[in-house]
Amino acid sequence: MQREVGTLPLAPALRARLAAAGFQTAQELLDTGPCGLSKEIGISREEALEALQVVRQECQGDTARTPGGSGATRKCTALELLEEEQSQGFIITFCSALDNILGGGVQLTKITEICGAPGVGKTQLCMQLAVDVQIPECFGGVAGEAVFIDTEGSFMVDRVVDIAAACVQHCHLIAEAQQEEDHGEALETFSLENILSHIYYFRCRDYTELLAQVYLLPEFLSEHSKVRLVVIDGIAFPFRHDFEDLALRTRLLNGLAQQLIIIANDHRAAVVLTNQMTTRIGQSQSTLVPALGESWGHAATVRLIFHWDNSQRLATLYKSPSQKEATIAYEITSHGFRDVQPPAVPPSTGGTELNPRKRPRTEGEKQ
Amino acid sequence: MVVLRAGLCPGLTEDMIQLLRAKGIRTVVDFVSSDLEDVAQKCSLSYKALVAVRRVLLAQFSAFPANGADLYEELKSSTAILPTGSPSLDQLLDSGLYTGEVTELMGASGSGKTQVCLGIAASVSLGLKQHILFLDSSGGFTASRLYQILQAQTEDEEEQAALQRVQVERVFNIYEVLGALQELRDRLSQQVVSSVGPLKVVLLDSVSAVIYPLLGGRQSEGLALMMQLSRELKTLAREFSLAVVVTNQVTRDSSSGPLKPALGRSWSFVPSTRVLLESREGTWQKPSTQRAASLAKSPRQPTGIQVELDIG
Repeated sequence: MQREVGTLPLAPALRARLAAAGFQTAQELLDTGPCGLSKEIGISREEALEALQVVRQECQGDTARTPGGSGATRKCTALELLEEEQSQGFIITFCSALDNILGGGVQLTKITEICGAPGVGKTQLCMQLAVDVQIPECFGGVAGEAVFIDTEGSFMVDRVVDIAAACVQHCHLIAEAQQEEDHGEALETFSLENILSHIYYFRCRDYTELLAQVYLLPEFLSEHSKVRLVVIDGIAFPFRHDFEDLALRTRLLNGLAQQLIIIANDHRAAVVLTNQMTTRIGQSQSTLVPALGESWGHAATVRLIFHWDNSQRLATLYKSPSQKEATIAYEITSHGFRDVQPPAVPPSTGGTELNPRKRPRTEGEKQ
Repeated sequence: MVVLRAGLCPGLTEDMIQLLRAKGIRTVVDFVSSDLEDVAQKCSLSYKALVAVRRVLLAQFSAFPANGADLYEELKSSTAILPTGSPSLDQLLDSGLYTGEVTELMGASGSGKTQVCLGIAASVSLGLKQHILFLDSSGGFTASRLYQILQAQTEDEEEQAALQRVQVERVFNIYEVLGALQELRDRLSQQVVSSVGPLKVVLLDSVSAVIYPLLGGRQSEGLALMMQLSRELKTLAREFSLAVVVTNQVTRDSSSGPLKPALGRSWSFVPSTRVLLESREGTWQKPSTQRAASLAKSPRQPTGIQVELDIG
């Protein structure tokens, strides 16, 4: 119990008074008791009682730090962690090339960040993941629910309906081809209405609402314990416009990042964030880099950057703790996020006049 | 600033303390620096008793000077140099990580800090068969990647034993880090050799993730906690002969300024050795596994040395 008073989570004013009165370790505080404490430093008995409770909790947390309890082991050996990781599922993205470079799909308990220019497909991937997390375990999914926090207003329910319908059809085809018993049961619960009712949607209009939502999320997640995915679509948007104090922004973002890591770990959920791109003007050229600054780059564990190469969409794995950096191509079809299919029809000659960055509008150009 | 309390030393009774406090003597420093004859007269206490108490208090609370030769002998027998698993990094650090010191790895996002930490963990647990404590505050520890590194280094089936020697603790705010370090100190000072065998390395990845939310603004709380943390780390390293490795981020002053290490000037005095990791290419369009490590601060080598690292 030799924990120093300066390392205990007490209010700064209280801590200053304790230091002035000469208390050094937590044990001394506990020995003095609430009456003695209130007399020595001049605070009311209720405040002294509260402070002692905090101290007792903190010291008990130190000595009795055992693994287990609510499924979140904070302390274990690497071997136990390895076994846990190997039994954990991934959230597949339906684009096998992307799943390969990610090592199986979007990992649970980690924060994945998707950066890209406008229109490249970040929100599409988020909607795809919100559907994919609900795939039953017999088809290779994690059978969880999804929380979608939208700050830009880009969530389109009819698009989710299209994606979900395609996913259900895909599972039906697998069930017919493989003919196993549990497939039939799982398919009964995996219907369009079910999928849509398990996506919890929150709309946040500015950064205060976003911060409040994230800090209230642990309570929500303990009530809905099946949630395995938290998507924040557009984490850059509320922090980029109308923010004068950049130091405050960095502090808030770092606090937000730590809170998200705690949520990902305690509730075994995957957290997916989307970020915008900004231009950095260098010596002789300008490059596109992810927004929100250098310190935000450390918040995400896995970073994917989506970009264009003429009219082909590419995804680069820029940062990952276990996979090598790689680049693959993907496509957005009417069924959702998919691999690039080899072109059956040669591209039309009129295509060069169109702006390659704009989504094709006519049906004939969509594959 | 220890307050005089009954039981601090034999001979110091509650009445004595009340009398002394009435005359304005509250702490040990006040007592030891006051004129004892004067105090004996004013408080009507026995001079001999006061002198005895002062002797005990001085023995308990003052720091004794140590002989340089003795210090050198002690250092020679207790310091160990641990290989990091990468020969070029060892060359940069003057043959490896020194116990009793704090070493810092800094770099931008994706520059390989966590990979180097995993490499150190693999090399120490496999090669030296020592235990390691990995404090993960950023969620970047992946056991399967550690397993991969171990498999690449050894042919026998020793990976399982090596993995068991790596203790991982997930700490996500500053108070949890301080609690974990306190618990480690209690365990080591009681010399409980149960599951934690001979502990040699403590890795904290990353220190800026826990301190950044506290710094800045008008609250100076963050600086105080940062210094508490640095004191804990340094005293742990020195007292128990551990090598402490921390990772730090880099920031920019403005959107086009040069990269500089995070946490500011005050933190720059804490580690004795600082290594900066950089990617070879400037942009993210040509990925590779090569990294450049340069020495930014060292007590033994000239700064500015650069080596190539492969984190693949």
